[in-house]
Amino acid sequence: MDRPNHLSVVVDLSPSQWYLCGQPSNAHPLPLAAFLSQLLAFLNAHIACNDENTLSVYGALPGRSALLYSSASAELSELTDPADSNTYRQFKILDSTMMKSMSEQVDALSDLEEESPIGLVGSLTKSLCYINRVTNVSTSSTTTVGSDEPTIRPDPRILIISVSPDEAASYIPVMNSIFSAQKLKVTIDVCKIYGPESVFLQQAAHLTGGSYIFLDRPDALLQYLTMTFLPPPALRQLISVPTQDKVDFRAACFCHKNIVDIGFVCSVCLSIFCQPVPVCSTCRTKFPIKTLQRLNASKPALAPARSTAPVPSPSPANSLPRSQAIGLPRTTSMGNGISASPGRNGASTR
Amino acid sequence: MSSSTLFKATVNEHLENLPKPIQSKLYEAPATCLSIYRLLPPMAKFFIMSMLFHDKPVAYKDLERICKPHTKKLQFEAFNRLKALHLIDEDQGRSHLKLHPIFKQNFRDCLTGSQASNAFGNLCTTADKHQVDVKFLDQFASQKWETILHFMVGTELGVDPSKSVLSLLKLGGLMEGPGTSPRNLKITNEGFQFLLQDVNAQIWTFLLQYLNLTQDLNMDPVDVLNFIFILGSLELGKSYTVSSLSATQVSMLADLKDYGLIYQRSDSSSRFYPTRLATTLTSESAALRSPSAAMEHALQSTTTAEDGDDASAIQNSVSAGIASAQGTVIIETNFKIYAYTNSPLEIAVLNLFVNLKIRFSNMVCGQITRESIRHALLNGITADQIIRFLETHAHPQMRLLAKEKLDKKIEFDTSHNINTAGGAPQSQVYGENGTVAQHKLEVLPPTVVDQIKLWQLELDRIQTFEGYLFKDFQNQQEYDYLSNYAQEIGVLIWGDKVKKKFFVTPEGMDQVAIFANRK
Repeated sequence: MDRPNHLSVVVDLSPSQWYLCGQPSNAHPLPLAAFLSQLLAFLNAHIACNDENTLSVYGALPGRSALLYSSASAELSELTDPADSNTYRQFKILDSTMMKSMSEQVDALSDLEEESPIGLVGSLTKSLCYINRVTNVSTSSTTTVGSDEPTIRPDPRILIISVSPDEAASYIPVMNSIFSAQKLKVTIDVCKIYGPESVFLQQAAHLTGGSYIFLDRPDALLQYLTMTFLPPPALRQLISVPTQDKVDFRAACFCHKNIVDIGFVCSVCLSIFCQPVPVCSTCRTKFPIKTLQRLNASKPALAPARSTAPVPSPSPANSLPRSQAIGLPRTTSMGNGISASPGRNGASTR
Repeated sequence: MSSSTLFKATVNEHLENLPKPIQSKLYEAPATCLSIYRLLPPMAKFFIMSMLFHDKPVAYKDLERICKPHTKKLQFEAFNRLKALHLIDEDQGRSHLKLHPIFKQNFRDCLTGSQASNAFGNLCTTADKHQVDVKFLDQFASQKWETILHFMVGTELGVDPSKSVLSLLKLGGLMEGPGTSPRNLKITNEGFQFLLQDVNAQIWTFLLQYLNLTQDLNMDPVDVLNFIFILGSLELGKSYTVSSLSATQVSMLADLKDYGLIYQRSDSSSRFYPTRLATTLTSESAALRSPSAAMEHALQSTTTAEDGDDASAIQNSVSAGIASAQGTVIIETNFKIYAYTNSPLEIAVLNLFVNLKIRFSNMVCGQITRESIRHALLNGITADQIIRFLETHAHPQMRLLAKEKLDKKIEFDTSHNINTAGGAPQSQVYGENGTVAQHKLEVLPPTVVDQIKLWQLELDRIQTFEGYLFKDFQNQQEYDYLSNYAQEIGVLIWGDKVKKKFFVTPEGMDQVAIFANRK
């Protein structure tokens, strides 16, 4: 049970959001400096749990993403100040590498870039790639090494620390990342420090069996981190990790990237639209006029296209956006069927 | 994992049995705090972490509530471990817990990186004139350690281990014989069991013996333990200054050098290098190699050339954890065993539990029989030790076959969308820890593994336990209430519903009594 595990942390480093988060006018402000010291203590605690625990940290910066630290590259790097005997060496390397690469990345930001959307998807996919590499290497090498437990793999998980609001345009890539995480059996945890509730990240945590926490007291971040996100997946099954009581399952439409309460799903490729369309923009399927008329007629009665209230999920098991399929002549049975699938890759096998 | 948990148990036992003042003194060193934390079970780690950054005492109930109800047993074990180490204190009402203040402070400092100086050894800042690299250190360590193992099985290598090692071997009951002359010593049954363990466990066995020895020599056990734990957190390939060590620790250097844990060019040298044996003390990564691989390497280097820069020897020592890839043993489902080896150590170990029949120049054949296994079991070797030994020494071909089989099983499961791992298809099977059962790589034929275990069970028909009997219950309800609780925390040994009596372990007695009174 006590096996090494891998943790990938995605840190949201949006300058403007962190500025807002640190404002003293907030009830419980958390300035970036305080956040970083608590984060570093958490990362050290992760390393402290097991000598073979591995770690990678990705920073999501405006418009791009960067690797801030990884335990694989840390072994190679020579530290500049070797005379410091006061800190456990791995902690020292971790802390200084993190701070160095982070300040490098932030310094490199130009004024123009600061306005561009945060590169959350980039860092998420990069950490998935990293995990894929880590797990694959360990399986291929064990066949030759033959350690005591040949199938041993570091239990991988991802922790996203987010302060920015959802980027509606990134719905499809986020969903795709979730599906690949499911396939890799990676748990995605989300720690939301500041900003509005994130619909996409809620879904990410829910679908991968992780936990999503919106901090009531951001200044007590470290306690949240050690209680909820430090226990490895094996231990999580034994303790009651806080989970969401309600998950916002709304999806974003493919046409305007709006988050919709009720969408219209193409019955062929499962693309989501905020209003009935005669031709699916993704797979070019033409829909019969009759269905369109029927749907258009029922639409205003059903719901407004955009509402901000989150939809409490009726059954969290597999209910994705409440959507109505656009009928197609060939598949009459699907005509009015309620389709429960978020996108084209909708095979959400768990 | 059995042997690594074995060594953990022994180290922990040693720590738990220390008197409280010594434990408190131990916690003054951050390196020790870190190492002790790493040796704890996951649940205990979680409890410590949740209390670490909490200033007020934490309610016992709150911690209990955070764990799922079916984990009472694990909780009980974790709390017991923590209490034995005095890492947690209860207040008068036994309702709130708090961490040991010194441990709390130091472990916190350790994580936040702000502790007193010289907590993790002083690195040498100046370059060494006689710079050594990791390869050299690995070779040095394995050579030292192998000499000891060779000596134990009586291989003629021409070099005997030092006096201190010999007396330690004798003291630990691993070898016996009159006097300390190297020729008079003979390996004991414990010695053979020792050989079956992996290097990490062997070193800990050694170090614990050493600790006992140092207590007789009036050395400060805190200093000694601290130094051992600091060694575990040092970095391979870096040199550290001797001057920052205490007098006790300096006197340990020579002994540790004999075991191959550290490298010091000469006794007066002002710096020392930890070897891989030392830096992996508190981790689970395979240290240098398993004994048989060590033997092979030694034979290679003695047959080719005795000098250090023999390419294959270096190659061998560099491939630290990979050493067991040269597994040699093939077991068939008919209990026949073939080992492609001519190493006296491995043959001697196999001879412990295999009825060896034929010996060729490069292999031995034998048969596992009930008698041969019983013989080993009666000598105090456990079935798990045997199975583990066979597993780590399995021929690569066996591993390959097992891997293919496993892949096929997983493929079958995924294509049919079921889980057959637990034996019951189409239902999610939960293992002991509440995890979904997964297919395991079965390197050894399952028939052989099961049979060896069954042979062990044969011997355990009567078992004795110490404990306490609960009887004279007022009514059935009361009996059920208490016995269920005892069952939940895993201390119930026996119970009879009709007679309304049950029996619990001595450790559980306290807990059950408190529970009964609380009601």
